[in-house]
Amino acid sequence: MSEQVRIPYVAREKELKDLYLPMVAPEDRPQTALELLGEMLKYKRSLKLYLDVCTHCGACAEQCHSYLGTKDPYNMPVARVDLVRRVYKQVFASGPSFLRTWDGAKAIDQETIDLWYKYFHQCNQCRRCAIFCPKGIDTAEVTIAMRELLAHLGMPSRFHAGIAKNMAKTGNNMGNPLPAVLDGIEFLEEELKEETGLDIPIPVDKEGAEVLFNPSSSDLYVNTDGFMAVAKIFYKAGVSWTLSSKITETANFGLFFHEPSMREHSRLLVQAGKELGVKRLVAGECGHGWRTWRMFTETINGPLPFPVVHLFEEVLGYLRDGRIKFDKSMNPEVVTYHDPCNYARAGDLINQPRELLSACVQNFVEMTPTKELSFCCGGGSGILMDEAMKIREALAQPKAECVRSTGAEILCAPCAICKAQLPDVLEHHKVDVTVKGLSDLMGRALIL
Amino acid sequence: MADLNVNGVFIPLDEDGFLEDSDLWNEEVALALALTEDVEELTEEHWHLINYLRDYYAKFGVAPMIRKLCKETGFNLKKIYELFPGGPAKGACKVAGLMKPTGCV
Repeated sequence: MSEQVRIPYVAREKELKDLYLPMVAPEDRPQTALELLGEMLKYKRSLKLYLDVCTHCGACAEQCHSYLGTKDPYNMPVARVDLVRRVYKQVFASGPSFLRTWDGAKAIDQETIDLWYKYFHQCNQCRRCAIFCPKGIDTAEVTIAMRELLAHLGMPSRFHAGIAKNMAKTGNNMGNPLPAVLDGIEFLEEELKEETGLDIPIPVDKEGAEVLFNPSSSDLYVNTDGFMAVAKIFYKAGVSWTLSSKITETANFGLFFHEPSMREHSRLLVQAGKELGVKRLVAGECGHGWRTWRMFTETINGPLPFPVVHLFEEVLGYLRDGRIKFDKSMNPEVVTYHDPCNYARAGDLINQPRELLSACVQNFVEMTPTKELSFCCGGGSGILMDEAMKIREALAQPKAECVRSTGAEILCAPCAICKAQLPDVLEHHKVDVTVKGLSDLMGRALIL
Repeated sequence: MADLNVNGVFIPLDEDGFLEDSDLWNEEVALALALTEDVEELTEEHWHLINYLRDYYAKFGVAPMIRKLCKETGFNLKKIYELFPGGPAKGACKVAGLMKPTGCV
Protein backbone atom coordinates (compact mmCIF):
# COMPACT_ATOMS: atom_id res chain seq x y z
CA MET A 1 0.00 0.00 0.00
CA SER A 2 1.50 3.34 -0.97
CA GLU A 3 1.95 6.14 1.56
CA GLN A 4 -0.76 8.15 -0.14
CA VAL A 5 -3.25 5.30 0.19
CA ARG A 6 -2.45 4.91 3.89
CA ILE A 7 -3.91 8.38 4.52
CA PRO A 8 -5.81 8.39 6.83
CA TYR A 9 -3.68 5.95 8.82
CA VAL A 10 -4.99 2.41 8.92
CA ALA A 11 -5.74 0.92 12.35
CA ARG A 12 -3.06 -1.20 13.98
CA GLU A 13 -3.46 -4.58 15.64
CA LYS A 14 -4.08 -3.07 19.07
CA GLU A 15 -7.04 -1.00 17.87
CA LEU A 16 -8.46 -3.92 15.91
CA LYS A 17 -8.29 -6.19 18.96
CA ASP A 18 -10.28 -3.75 21.05
CA LEU A 19 -13.10 -3.83 18.50
CA TYR A 20 -12.87 -7.61 17.92
CA LEU A 21 -11.94 -6.97 14.31
CA PRO A 22 -9.66 -9.41 12.46
CA MET A 23 -6.24 -8.85 10.94
CA VAL A 24 -6.39 -9.97 7.31
CA ALA A 25 -3.17 -10.50 5.31
CA PRO A 26 -3.05 -8.27 2.20
CA GLU A 27 -2.99 -11.26 -0.16
CA ASP A 28 -6.13 -12.70 1.47
CA ARG A 29 -8.08 -9.45 1.31
CA PRO A 30 -9.57 -9.76 -2.21
CA GLN A 31 -11.17 -13.14 -1.50
CA THR A 32 -12.35 -12.10 1.98
CA ALA A 33 -13.74 -8.88 0.52
CA LEU A 34 -15.82 -10.83 -2.01
CA GLU A 35 -17.26 -13.02 0.73
CA LEU A 36 -18.11 -9.95 2.85
CA LEU A 37 -19.64 -8.11 -0.10
CA GLY A 38 -21.72 -11.20 -0.95
CA GLU A 39 -23.06 -11.31 2.61
CA MET A 40 -23.81 -7.58 2.64
CA LEU A 41 -25.74 -7.77 -0.61
CA LYS A 42 -28.07 -10.28 1.03
CA TYR A 43 -29.17 -8.00 3.86
CA LYS A 44 -28.49 -4.49 2.52
CA ARG A 45 -31.08 -4.15 -0.22
CA SER A 46 -30.25 -0.47 -0.66
CA LEU A 47 -26.65 -1.35 -1.51
CA LYS A 48 -27.70 -3.85 -4.18
CA LEU A 49 -30.20 -1.38 -5.60
CA TYR A 50 -27.63 1.44 -5.80
CA LEU A 51 -25.14 -0.85 -7.52
CA ASP A 52 -27.77 -1.94 -10.04
CA VAL A 53 -29.61 1.24 -11.04
CA CYS A 54 -26.92 3.83 -11.86
CA THR A 55 -27.09 4.94 -15.49
CA HIS A 56 -23.85 6.96 -15.36
CA CYS A 57 -25.74 10.13 -16.27
CA GLY A 58 -23.23 12.19 -14.30
CA ALA A 59 -25.78 14.43 -12.56
CA CYS A 60 -23.96 13.84 -9.27
CA ALA A 61 -20.46 14.82 -10.33
CA GLU A 62 -20.59 18.60 -10.11
CA GLN A 63 -22.78 18.49 -7.01
CA CYS A 64 -20.17 16.74 -4.88
CA HIS A 65 -17.93 19.02 -2.81
CA SER A 66 -15.34 16.26 -2.68
CA TYR A 67 -14.98 16.25 -6.48
CA LEU A 68 -15.26 20.04 -6.71
CA GLY A 69 -12.60 20.49 -4.04
CA THR A 70 -10.12 17.82 -5.16
CA LYS A 71 -10.84 17.55 -8.93
CA ASP A 72 -9.96 13.89 -8.56
CA PRO A 73 -12.26 11.96 -10.94
CA TYR A 74 -12.60 9.08 -8.47
CA ASN A 75 -14.30 11.56 -6.14
CA MET A 76 -17.28 11.91 -8.44
CA PRO A 77 -19.98 9.97 -6.57
CA VAL A 78 -20.62 7.83 -9.67
CA ALA A 79 -16.93 6.94 -9.99
CA ARG A 80 -16.53 6.32 -6.29
CA VAL A 81 -19.38 3.81 -6.28
CA ASP A 82 -18.11 2.35 -9.57
CA LEU A 83 -15.08 1.10 -7.62
CA VAL A 84 -17.52 -1.33 -6.00
CA ARG A 85 -19.91 -1.58 -8.92
CA ARG A 86 -17.22 -2.99 -11.21
CA VAL A 87 -16.63 -5.86 -8.78
CA TYR A 88 -20.35 -6.34 -8.34
CA LYS A 89 -20.81 -6.57 -12.12
CA GLN A 90 -18.02 -9.11 -12.37
CA VAL A 91 -19.12 -11.42 -9.58
CA PHE A 92 -22.69 -10.87 -8.43
CA ALA A 93 -24.80 -9.18 -11.15
CA SER A 94 -27.11 -11.20 -13.37
CA GLY A 95 -26.86 -11.45 -17.19
CA PRO A 96 -24.33 -12.84 -19.68
CA SER A 97 -20.68 -12.21 -18.87
CA PHE A 98 -19.84 -10.35 -22.12
CA LEU A 99 -22.54 -7.80 -21.32
CA ARG A 100 -21.23 -7.36 -17.81
CA THR A 101 -17.67 -6.87 -19.08
CA TRP A 102 -19.00 -4.29 -21.50
CA ASP A 103 -20.72 -2.69 -18.50
CA GLY A 104 -17.39 -2.13 -16.70
CA ALA A 105 -16.98 -5.41 -14.81
CA LYS A 106 -13.49 -5.91 -13.41
CA ALA A 107 -11.96 -8.55 -11.20
CA ILE A 108 -11.07 -7.59 -7.64
CA ASP A 109 -7.41 -7.26 -6.64
CA GLN A 110 -5.38 -5.67 -3.86
CA GLU A 111 -5.26 -2.39 -5.71
CA THR A 112 -9.08 -2.27 -5.77
CA ILE A 113 -9.13 -2.58 -2.00
CA ASP A 114 -6.55 0.17 -1.61
CA LEU A 115 -8.71 2.38 -3.83
CA TRP A 116 -11.73 1.58 -1.68
CA TYR A 117 -9.80 2.59 1.41
CA LYS A 118 -8.62 5.83 -0.13
CA TYR A 119 -11.83 7.02 -1.77
CA PHE A 120 -14.35 5.88 0.82
CA HIS A 121 -12.35 8.06 3.21
CA GLN A 122 -12.80 11.06 0.89
CA CYS A 123 -16.60 10.84 0.98
CA ASN A 124 -18.13 12.73 3.91
CA GLN A 125 -21.39 10.76 3.82
CA CYS A 126 -23.11 14.11 3.31
CA ARG A 127 -25.88 12.86 0.94
CA ARG A 128 -25.87 15.93 -1.29
CA CYS A 129 -25.45 13.76 -4.39
CA ALA A 130 -28.60 11.85 -3.45
CA ILE A 131 -30.63 15.03 -3.88
CA PHE A 132 -29.51 15.38 -7.48
CA CYS A 133 -29.47 11.72 -8.54
CA PRO A 134 -32.49 10.96 -10.75
CA LYS A 135 -32.38 7.40 -9.44
CA GLY A 136 -32.09 8.46 -5.80
CA ILE A 137 -28.73 6.77 -5.25
CA ASP A 138 -27.41 7.70 -1.83
CA THR A 139 -23.63 7.38 -1.91
CA ALA A 140 -23.48 7.83 1.87
CA GLU A 141 -25.15 4.43 2.24
CA VAL A 142 -22.52 2.88 -0.01
CA THR A 143 -19.71 4.59 1.91
CA ILE A 144 -21.13 3.40 5.23
CA ALA A 145 -21.33 -0.17 3.86
CA MET A 146 -17.84 -0.07 2.37
CA ARG A 147 -16.24 1.33 5.52
CA GLU A 148 -17.94 -1.49 7.43
CA LEU A 149 -16.54 -3.97 4.93
CA LEU A 150 -13.07 -2.45 5.25
CA ALA A 151 -13.32 -2.69 9.04
CA HIS A 152 -13.95 -6.41 8.69
CA LEU A 153 -10.90 -6.62 6.44
CA GLY A 154 -8.91 -5.17 9.35
CA MET A 155 -8.79 -1.76 7.66
CA PRO A 156 -10.80 0.81 9.58
CA SER A 157 -8.99 4.12 9.93
CA ARG A 158 -6.89 4.36 13.07
CA PHE A 159 -8.72 7.53 14.08
CA HIS A 160 -12.19 5.97 13.90
CA ALA A 161 -11.13 2.72 15.54
CA GLY A 162 -9.34 4.58 18.35
CA ILE A 163 -12.41 6.68 19.04
CA ALA A 164 -14.72 3.66 19.09
CA LYS A 165 -12.31 2.06 21.55
CA ASN A 166 -12.31 5.17 23.76
CA MET A 167 -16.10 5.19 23.70
CA ALA A 168 -16.33 1.53 24.74
CA LYS A 169 -13.87 2.08 27.60
CA THR A 170 -14.99 5.41 29.02
CA GLY A 171 -18.39 6.37 27.58
CA ASN A 172 -16.94 9.26 25.59
CA ASN A 173 -14.96 9.61 22.37
CA MET A 174 -12.09 11.51 23.94
CA GLY A 175 -11.40 8.68 26.37
CA ASN A 176 -11.79 10.92 29.41
CA PRO A 177 -12.06 8.83 32.60
CA LEU A 178 -14.94 9.69 34.95
CA PRO A 179 -12.82 11.62 37.51
CA ALA A 180 -11.65 13.92 34.70
CA VAL A 181 -15.21 14.41 33.44
CA LEU A 182 -16.43 15.25 36.96
CA ASP A 183 -13.50 17.59 37.53
CA GLY A 184 -14.38 19.45 34.34
CA ILE A 185 -18.05 19.70 35.29
CA GLU A 186 -17.23 21.05 38.75
CA PHE A 187 -14.98 23.64 37.16
CA LEU A 188 -17.75 24.72 34.77
CA GLU A 189 -20.20 25.13 37.67
CA GLU A 190 -17.69 27.52 39.25
CA GLU A 191 -17.35 29.33 35.94
CA LEU A 192 -21.12 29.71 35.71
CA LYS A 193 -21.22 31.13 39.22
CA GLU A 194 -18.46 33.59 38.39
CA GLU A 195 -20.14 34.66 35.15
CA THR A 196 -23.73 34.97 36.36
CA GLY A 197 -23.55 35.19 40.13
CA LEU A 198 -26.12 32.39 40.23
CA ASP A 199 -25.91 28.79 41.41
CA ILE A 200 -26.58 27.08 38.10
CA PRO A 201 -26.16 23.35 38.57
CA ILE A 202 -24.77 20.77 36.15
CA PRO A 203 -26.35 17.66 37.68
CA VAL A 204 -24.86 14.21 37.16
CA ASP A 205 -26.84 10.98 37.69
CA LYS A 206 -29.82 12.79 39.19
CA GLU A 207 -32.53 10.16 39.44
CA GLY A 208 -36.00 11.16 38.37
CA ALA A 209 -34.81 14.15 36.34
CA GLU A 210 -37.11 15.06 33.47
CA VAL A 211 -34.34 15.27 30.85
CA LEU A 212 -31.16 13.31 30.25
CA PHE A 213 -28.95 15.68 28.29
CA ASN A 214 -26.29 14.06 26.17
CA PRO A 215 -23.56 16.45 24.99
CA SER A 216 -20.68 15.80 22.66
CA SER A 217 -17.54 15.12 24.70
CA SER A 218 -15.86 18.00 22.87
CA ASP A 219 -18.37 20.27 24.67
CA LEU A 220 -16.50 19.32 27.83
CA TYR A 221 -13.09 19.98 26.30
CA VAL A 222 -13.17 22.85 23.85
CA ASN A 223 -16.78 24.02 23.22
CA THR A 224 -17.48 24.88 26.82
CA ASP A 225 -19.38 28.12 26.08
CA GLY A 226 -22.07 26.11 24.33
CA PHE A 227 -22.27 23.57 27.12
CA MET A 228 -22.57 26.26 29.80
CA ALA A 229 -25.31 27.88 27.70
CA VAL A 230 -27.33 24.67 27.83
CA ALA A 231 -27.04 24.60 31.64
CA LYS A 232 -28.27 28.22 31.74
CA ILE A 233 -31.22 27.48 29.47
CA PHE A 234 -32.39 24.49 31.53
CA TYR A 235 -32.00 26.60 34.67
CA LYS A 236 -34.03 29.48 33.31
CA ALA A 237 -36.75 27.21 31.88
CA GLY A 238 -37.00 25.48 35.25
CA VAL A 239 -36.42 22.03 33.78
CA SER A 240 -34.98 19.27 35.91
CA TRP A 241 -32.12 17.70 33.95
CA THR A 242 -29.08 15.54 34.36
CA LEU A 243 -26.02 14.13 32.66
CA SER A 244 -25.15 10.46 32.96
CA SER A 245 -21.77 9.47 34.39
CA LYS A 246 -21.84 6.40 32.15
CA ILE A 247 -22.02 8.22 28.86
CA THR A 248 -21.25 11.81 27.95
CA GLU A 249 -21.18 11.43 24.21
CA THR A 250 -23.75 11.97 21.53
CA ALA A 251 -21.25 11.59 18.65
CA ASN A 252 -21.75 7.99 17.56
CA PHE A 253 -18.74 7.18 15.37
CA GLY A 254 -20.07 3.65 14.90
CA LEU A 255 -22.34 5.09 12.20
CA PHE A 256 -19.26 5.89 10.11
CA PHE A 257 -17.70 2.45 10.00
CA HIS A 258 -18.90 -0.14 12.50
CA GLU A 259 -22.52 -1.03 13.20
CA PRO A 260 -21.83 -3.04 16.41
CA SER A 261 -20.20 0.07 17.94
CA MET A 262 -23.18 2.18 16.86
CA ARG A 263 -25.66 -0.25 18.38
CA GLU A 264 -23.75 -0.52 21.65
CA HIS A 265 -23.46 3.27 21.95
CA SER A 266 -27.22 3.72 21.59
CA ARG A 267 -27.91 0.81 23.94
CA LEU A 268 -25.71 2.31 26.65
CA LEU A 269 -27.47 5.64 26.42
CA VAL A 270 -30.97 4.17 26.48
CA GLN A 271 -29.99 2.09 29.49
CA ALA A 272 -28.60 5.16 31.28
CA GLY A 273 -31.89 6.98 30.64
CA LYS A 274 -33.93 4.05 31.92
CA GLU A 275 -31.89 3.72 35.11
CA LEU A 276 -32.30 7.42 35.85
CA GLY A 277 -36.02 7.27 35.06
CA VAL A 278 -35.96 10.29 32.74
CA LYS A 279 -38.93 11.33 30.61
CA ARG A 280 -36.89 12.08 27.51
CA LEU A 281 -33.41 12.22 26.14
CA VAL A 282 -32.13 15.48 24.66
CA ALA A 283 -29.27 15.19 22.16
CA GLY A 284 -26.69 17.99 22.00
CA GLU A 285 -25.07 19.70 19.01
CA CYS A 286 -23.85 16.77 16.91
CA GLY A 287 -24.97 16.09 13.36
CA HIS A 288 -24.37 12.41 12.83
CA GLY A 289 -25.25 11.53 16.42
CA TRP A 290 -28.61 13.09 15.74
CA ARG A 291 -28.93 11.26 12.44
CA THR A 292 -28.28 8.01 14.28
CA TRP A 293 -31.16 8.69 16.70
CA ARG A 294 -33.57 9.95 14.12
CA MET A 295 -32.87 7.41 11.40
CA PHE A 296 -31.22 4.27 12.74
CA THR A 297 -31.63 3.57 16.45
CA GLU A 298 -35.19 2.26 16.49
CA THR A 299 -34.52 0.01 13.50
CA ILE A 300 -31.30 -1.38 14.90
CA ASN A 301 -31.85 -1.33 18.68
CA GLY A 302 -35.62 -1.74 18.81
CA PRO A 303 -38.37 0.53 20.21
CA LEU A 304 -37.21 3.32 22.51
CA PRO A 305 -38.63 3.58 26.03
CA PHE A 306 -38.79 7.40 25.85
CA PRO A 307 -38.68 10.07 23.17
CA VAL A 308 -35.33 11.34 21.94
CA VAL A 309 -35.42 14.98 20.89
CA HIS A 310 -32.80 17.40 19.68
CA LEU A 311 -31.71 20.30 21.86
CA PHE A 312 -33.12 22.74 19.27
CA GLU A 313 -36.59 21.15 19.40
CA GLU A 314 -36.47 21.24 23.19
CA VAL A 315 -35.33 24.86 23.44
CA LEU A 316 -37.75 26.01 20.76
CA GLY A 317 -40.54 24.64 22.93
CA TYR A 318 -39.35 26.80 25.85
CA LEU A 319 -39.11 29.84 23.61
CA ARG A 320 -42.58 29.44 22.11
CA ASP A 321 -44.06 28.87 25.57
CA GLY A 322 -42.39 32.04 26.85
CA ARG A 323 -40.31 30.15 29.42
CA ILE A 324 -37.13 31.76 28.12
CA LYS A 325 -36.45 35.04 26.37
CA PHE A 326 -33.50 36.32 24.37
CA ASP A 327 -31.97 39.77 24.10
CA LYS A 328 -30.86 39.99 20.46
CA SER A 329 -28.68 43.00 21.11
CA MET A 330 -26.18 40.67 22.80
CA ASN A 331 -25.43 39.23 19.34
CA PRO A 332 -25.07 42.30 17.13
CA GLU A 333 -22.66 40.71 14.59
CA VAL A 334 -23.61 39.50 11.11
CA VAL A 335 -24.29 35.80 11.57
CA THR A 336 -24.73 33.16 8.90
CA TYR A 337 -25.80 29.55 9.35
CA HIS A 338 -24.07 26.41 8.13
CA ASP A 339 -26.54 23.54 7.82
CA PRO A 340 -24.80 20.44 9.15
CA CYS A 341 -25.50 17.75 6.50
CA ASN A 342 -26.95 15.35 9.02
CA TYR A 343 -29.46 17.92 10.27
CA ALA A 344 -30.60 19.23 6.90
CA ARG A 345 -30.44 16.07 4.77
CA ALA A 346 -30.85 13.35 7.36
CA GLY A 347 -32.42 14.67 10.54
CA ASP A 348 -35.40 17.01 9.95
CA LEU A 349 -33.65 20.03 11.46
CA ILE A 350 -33.85 22.94 9.04
CA ASN A 351 -36.36 25.48 10.32
CA GLN A 352 -35.92 24.95 14.07
CA PRO A 353 -32.37 26.35 14.26
CA ARG A 354 -33.40 29.27 12.02
CA GLU A 355 -36.30 30.16 14.29
CA LEU A 356 -33.94 30.12 17.27
CA LEU A 357 -31.31 32.15 15.44
CA SER A 358 -33.84 34.76 14.37
CA ALA A 359 -34.81 35.12 18.01
CA CYS A 360 -31.30 35.48 19.41
CA VAL A 361 -29.20 37.34 16.83
CA GLN A 362 -29.71 40.77 15.28
CA ASN A 363 -28.31 40.24 11.79
CA PHE A 364 -28.92 36.81 10.34
CA VAL A 365 -28.02 36.25 6.68
CA GLU A 366 -28.63 33.08 4.68
CA MET A 367 -25.84 31.38 2.81
CA THR A 368 -26.14 30.21 -0.80
CA PRO A 369 -26.77 27.32 -1.35
CA THR A 370 -28.56 26.61 1.87
CA LYS A 371 -30.79 24.17 3.77
CA GLU A 372 -30.87 20.73 2.10
CA LEU A 373 -28.66 22.04 -0.73
CA SER A 374 -25.92 23.23 1.62
CA PHE A 375 -22.35 22.00 1.08
CA CYS A 376 -20.60 19.84 3.66
CA CYS A 377 -17.84 21.32 5.84
CA GLY A 378 -15.51 18.59 4.57
CA GLY A 379 -15.10 16.94 7.98
CA GLY A 380 -18.28 14.89 7.82
CA SER A 381 -18.21 11.18 8.69
CA GLY A 382 -15.28 11.83 10.99
CA ILE A 383 -12.69 12.94 8.43
CA LEU A 384 -10.97 14.93 11.17
CA MET A 385 -7.59 13.21 11.18
CA ASP A 386 -4.56 15.50 11.36
CA GLU A 387 -2.76 13.39 8.78
CA ALA A 388 -5.64 14.03 6.34
CA MET A 389 -5.43 17.83 6.69
CA LYS A 390 -4.58 18.40 3.00
CA ILE A 391 -7.62 16.37 1.99
CA ARG A 392 -9.79 18.14 4.57
CA GLU A 393 -8.74 21.51 3.18
CA ALA A 394 -9.63 20.42 -0.35
CA LEU A 395 -12.98 18.97 0.73
CA ALA A 396 -13.81 22.26 2.47
CA GLN A 397 -13.11 24.47 -0.54
CA PRO A 398 -16.72 24.78 -1.85
CA LYS A 399 -18.02 25.55 1.65
CA ALA A 400 -15.29 28.13 2.22
CA GLU A 401 -16.43 30.07 -0.87
CA CYS A 402 -20.06 29.98 0.32
CA VAL A 403 -19.06 31.34 3.74
CA ARG A 404 -16.82 34.01 2.23
CA SER A 405 -19.57 35.37 0.01
CA THR A 406 -21.91 35.96 2.97
CA GLY A 407 -19.47 38.44 4.50
CA ALA A 408 -20.57 37.17 7.92
CA GLU A 409 -18.54 37.78 11.08
CA ILE A 410 -19.89 34.71 12.84
CA LEU A 411 -20.52 31.33 11.26
CA CYS A 412 -23.03 29.35 13.30
CA ALA A 413 -22.20 25.66 12.77
CA PRO A 414 -24.04 23.64 15.39
CA CYS A 415 -22.30 20.27 15.05
CA ALA A 416 -19.19 19.12 16.90
CA ILE A 417 -17.50 17.82 13.74
CA CYS A 418 -18.22 21.04 11.82
CA LYS A 419 -16.87 23.02 14.79
CA ALA A 420 -13.66 20.98 14.80
CA GLN A 421 -13.21 21.15 11.02
CA LEU A 422 -14.23 24.67 10.02
CA PRO A 423 -11.85 26.95 11.98
CA ASP A 424 -8.73 25.20 10.62
CA VAL A 425 -9.85 24.86 7.02
CA LEU A 426 -11.42 28.33 6.78
CA GLU A 427 -8.16 29.83 8.01
CA HIS A 428 -6.39 27.88 5.26
CA HIS A 429 -8.81 29.32 2.67
CA LYS A 430 -8.37 32.79 4.22
CA VAL A 431 -11.99 33.26 5.26
CA ASP A 432 -12.04 35.54 8.27
CA VAL A 433 -14.94 34.36 10.42
CA THR A 434 -15.52 33.07 13.96
CA VAL A 435 -17.15 29.64 14.21
CA LYS A 436 -19.69 29.15 16.99
CA GLY A 437 -22.41 26.72 17.96
CA LEU A 438 -26.03 27.83 18.14
CA SER A 439 -25.95 27.15 21.89
CA ASP A 440 -23.12 29.67 22.29
CA LEU A 441 -25.23 32.37 20.64
CA MET A 442 -28.34 31.45 22.64
CA GLY A 443 -26.29 31.53 25.83
CA ARG A 444 -25.05 35.03 25.08
CA ALA A 445 -28.57 36.32 24.42
CA LEU A 446 -30.45 34.46 27.15
CA ILE A 447 -32.10 36.78 29.69
CA LEU A 448 -31.46 35.13 33.03
CA MET B 1 7.87 9.15 12.27
CA ALA B 2 11.55 8.65 13.06
CA ASP B 3 12.47 8.11 16.70
CA LEU B 4 13.51 11.08 18.76
CA ASN B 5 17.25 11.27 19.38
CA VAL B 6 17.85 12.56 22.90
CA ASN B 7 21.60 12.67 23.50
CA GLY B 8 22.07 9.36 21.70
CA VAL B 9 19.03 7.65 23.26
CA PHE B 10 16.25 6.90 20.79
CA ILE B 11 12.71 7.47 22.05
CA PRO B 12 9.89 6.05 19.89
CA LEU B 13 7.36 8.50 18.47
CA ASP B 14 4.05 7.83 16.71
CA GLU B 15 3.31 9.15 13.21
CA ASP B 16 2.11 12.46 14.64
CA GLY B 17 5.32 12.89 16.58
CA PHE B 18 3.81 12.17 20.02
CA LEU B 19 5.60 9.90 22.50
CA GLU B 20 4.55 6.27 22.10
CA ASP B 21 5.18 5.79 25.82
CA SER B 22 4.56 8.81 28.02
CA ASP B 23 6.62 7.24 30.84
CA LEU B 24 9.74 7.96 28.78
CA TRP B 25 9.23 11.70 29.18
CA ASN B 26 11.81 13.82 30.97
CA GLU B 27 12.98 17.42 30.66
CA GLU B 28 15.52 16.60 27.98
CA VAL B 29 12.89 14.75 25.98
CA ALA B 30 10.69 17.85 26.31
CA LEU B 31 13.47 20.01 24.83
CA ALA B 32 13.85 17.62 21.89
CA LEU B 33 10.07 17.48 21.35
CA ALA B 34 9.90 21.28 21.48
CA LEU B 35 12.33 21.48 18.54
CA THR B 36 9.95 19.31 16.47
CA GLU B 37 7.26 21.94 17.23
CA ASP B 38 9.42 24.86 16.10
CA VAL B 39 10.00 25.96 19.69
CA GLU B 40 13.71 26.73 19.96
CA GLU B 41 13.88 27.35 23.67
CA LEU B 42 11.73 26.41 26.65
CA THR B 43 11.30 29.51 28.80
CA GLU B 44 9.85 29.77 32.28
CA GLU B 45 6.44 30.37 30.73
CA HIS B 46 6.70 27.21 28.63
CA TRP B 47 7.60 25.22 31.73
CA HIS B 48 4.70 26.75 33.65
CA LEU B 49 2.33 25.35 31.03
CA ILE B 50 4.13 22.02 30.68
CA ASN B 51 4.18 21.46 34.44
CA TYR B 52 0.50 22.24 34.75
CA LEU B 53 -0.32 19.75 31.99
CA ARG B 54 1.87 17.07 33.54
CA ASP B 55 0.37 17.53 37.00
CA TYR B 56 -3.14 17.30 35.60
CA TYR B 57 -2.20 14.27 33.52
CA ALA B 58 -0.69 12.53 36.53
CA LYS B 59 -3.92 13.06 38.44
CA PHE B 60 -6.53 12.38 35.74
CA GLY B 61 -4.80 10.55 32.90
CA VAL B 62 -5.88 13.08 30.24
CA ALA B 63 -5.38 16.70 29.25
CA PRO B 64 -7.54 19.29 31.04
CA MET B 65 -10.30 21.15 29.24
CA ILE B 66 -8.89 24.14 27.39
CA ARG B 67 -10.89 26.61 29.45
CA LYS B 68 -9.46 25.21 32.67
CA LEU B 69 -5.95 25.17 31.25
CA CYS B 70 -6.24 28.87 30.39
CA LYS B 71 -7.77 29.86 33.69
CA GLU B 72 -5.37 27.98 35.92
CA THR B 73 -2.19 28.85 34.05
CA GLY B 74 -3.27 32.45 33.58
CA PHE B 75 -2.51 32.18 29.84
CA ASN B 76 -5.20 32.93 27.30
CA LEU B 77 -5.46 30.88 24.12
CA LYS B 78 -3.56 33.47 22.10
CA LYS B 79 -0.69 33.31 24.56
CA ILE B 80 -0.67 29.50 24.40
CA TYR B 81 -0.41 29.66 20.60
CA GLU B 82 2.46 32.14 20.97
CA LEU B 83 4.27 29.69 23.24
CA PHE B 84 3.38 26.60 21.23
CA PRO B 85 2.42 27.39 17.62
CA GLY B 86 0.76 23.94 17.37
CA GLY B 87 -1.73 25.04 20.05
CA PRO B 88 -2.70 23.55 23.39
CA ALA B 89 -3.55 20.05 22.16
CA LYS B 90 -1.11 19.37 19.34
CA GLY B 91 1.73 21.58 20.54
CA ALA B 92 1.74 21.88 24.33
CA CYS B 93 0.44 18.36 25.02
CA LYS B 94 3.05 16.88 22.70
CA VAL B 95 5.95 18.65 24.40
CA ALA B 96 4.55 17.73 27.82
CA GLY B 97 4.54 14.06 26.77
CA LEU B 98 0.76 13.64 26.89
CA MET B 99 -1.31 11.69 24.40
CA LYS B 100 -2.96 13.63 21.61
CA PRO B 101 -6.54 14.58 22.47
CA THR B 102 -8.86 12.85 19.99
CA GLY B 103 -12.53 13.03 19.03
CA CYS B 104 -14.34 16.02 17.53
CA VAL B 105 -11.50 18.41 18.39
